[in-house]
Amino acid sequence: MREDLESGKDTSRRTGIRPLKVLTMHLLEVKGLTKRFGGLTAVKDVSFHIDEGETIGIIGPNGAGKTTLFNLLSGFLTPDSGTIMLKGENIVGLAPHKIVNKGIARTFQVVRPFHHLPVIANVMVALKSPRGAKKIEWLKTMERKAADILEDVGISEVMLEPAENVGHGILKRLEMAKALATEPDLLMLDEPFGGLNPLETDFLTKSITRMHLDEPSRAILVVEHKLYALMKIVRRVIVLHQGEKIAEGKPEEIANNKLVIEVYMGKGIPHA
Amino acid sequence: MALSYVRRAYSSFAAHVFDIPPRLMVFLFLLILLAVPITGISDYYMGILISANVLAIFAVSWDLLVGRTGQISLGHSLFLGIGGYSSALIFKYYGLPIWITIPLAMLIGSLFSVLIGFPCLRVKGPYLALVTMAFPLILYRVVKWGPLTPIFGRVGIIVPSFFHFLPIRQQVIAEFYFTLILLFASSVIIYKIANSKTGIVFMSILDDEVASKACGINVTKHKLMAFVISGMFASLAGCLHVHLLRIAESSMLLLTVSFIPVILTFLGGIGTIYGPIVGAYIYSILDKYVLGQMLPKLLEQWQMTLPTEFEYAKLLIFSSIVVILVIKWPRGIARYTTDRLEDLEEARDLDERGPRIWKRYKQKNRN
Repeated sequence: MREDLESGKDTSRRTGIRPLKVLTMHLLEVKGLTKRFGGLTAVKDVSFHIDEGETIGIIGPNGAGKTTLFNLLSGFLTPDSGTIMLKGENIVGLAPHKIVNKGIARTFQVVRPFHHLPVIANVMVALKSPRGAKKIEWLKTMERKAADILEDVGISEVMLEPAENVGHGILKRLEMAKALATEPDLLMLDEPFGGLNPLETDFLTKSITRMHLDEPSRAILVVEHKLYALMKIVRRVIVLHQGEKIAEGKPEEIANNKLVIEVYMGKGIPHA
Repeated sequence: MALSYVRRAYSSFAAHVFDIPPRLMVFLFLLILLAVPITGISDYYMGILISANVLAIFAVSWDLLVGRTGQISLGHSLFLGIGGYSSALIFKYYGLPIWITIPLAMLIGSLFSVLIGFPCLRVKGPYLALVTMAFPLILYRVVKWGPLTPIFGRVGIIVPSFFHFLPIRQQVIAEFYFTLILLFASSVIIYKIANSKTGIVFMSILDDEVASKACGINVTKHKLMAFVISGMFASLAGCLHVHLLRIAESSMLLLTVSFIPVILTFLGGIGTIYGPIVGAYIYSILDKYVLGQMLPKLLEQWQMTLPTEFEYAKLLIFSSIVVILVIKWPRGIARYTTDRLEDLEEARDLDERGPRIWKRYKQKNRN
């Protein structure tokens, strides 16, 4: 059973047990989000929504405002205008750690491990947060839970190594383990495939798919440059360009969208 | 050849002999220290050890804040002053017994660290160091301020020693045991905190504040927690310091006093908690015995005396020792020693089947 989950092929059995959507409320609803840095408008009037259990990708060329949008959602930046509703509650202006405890966890584009701590202790930091501590099952120690999470992302063999001694691929997965430790309702991955080789990319794709199957109600938001890997895991794609949302839809629709192709490839030579 | 054999034999021997668990090692050191008064050394040398105990409490509290949480404080003498003055003032105005003033001084110290922590912890890194440096200078001015002379005294506030009811010799021995037990208790408490799960969070703040925010940690709360714990034990040290000197005076608020825990911690090894204790003993022995006793005696043989300005040169000497140490052993003396012991342990694991030389011999024959 584990094998067919890992291959990510046979999902019909699992998708069958997904809870029916009863609530009409979206998990996350962003309306008119705007952020200016001096004269530059990094994010301009962006609106979208995420439902429970959805996997959404955000793509866009460099400087499109993807990371700014990420920082706005996770509270590291405060928007100039607009609202972010998480389960019907406005989270604009909350401190980052409060947003994490409300159920949005994020990873960073550049890995940020705690260098002096062993790998397992990195995860325990997240488990020490109020939400992380609440989510530990009864009769389970924090260490056990941290080891389980590391096993889920596939790095349990290095759990006692200091984080400064392990490689970049492991640190990328450690970032994800730290975010998963608080059992978020919305997991935001900022370029999870950046700097990984094809083999590691493949493994991570599979583990994100599996993660989704294990916890069907968890929504995942992925920002990525590697479109090929991204299109395999997401159900809906949002395209940003110069801070504005220019397209939204299924991966195959986006791949054939003229505007998107224009943004990525430039305009074709006009016919004489 | 013979020399290398001796060296290998020694390393193999050492690897087996030094296989002592750390807890047992601490216990052995404690036993040795407990046995010191039995040897009947003079009161002067006992005084050196007593001051080392107090300095160790002070430096250990600094190490928790700076070495484990990364909040650089260069004004730790403030807590020494608050602890000392509050216990002296409580004694002066309420005449409470010393056993009650110690916990009260610790309480006042932690209250003040909350008050000072709120504005201070808004800034980071070197700016925090500069802001904390300002506070003891403010308190120094307050203590020296003319209208407050009736409260703080012209010279200081005279207080009795802890064991004023005992004869002098027994008083010194009792003070030694008292400070040693307090040092042991407070360093064990701080060590346990530093290695608890909260201590892991402290380390995460030292490494990456933004990442610990992203893990859902309330960074401000944990920084303040470290500040309060550190301030509490530093005020304990201040209270002990005042009662050992029998006077609460403004010199403990000077900037030079704030640098003492820095020197001690770098001597022993920053972030280790046990390092500053080692550093405190080395510092006290160097300061009071080598520079205070041996050097004048040595100079006497050549009919020379130390100039009175030598007191001021001491800090220079210690600072240069720290600079040399940072180049040679950046992780500190205590950390260096424990690392050596771990290396020996690894060496023992490697040659389980006998000394390393035999292994080499076997390898040679195999080829």
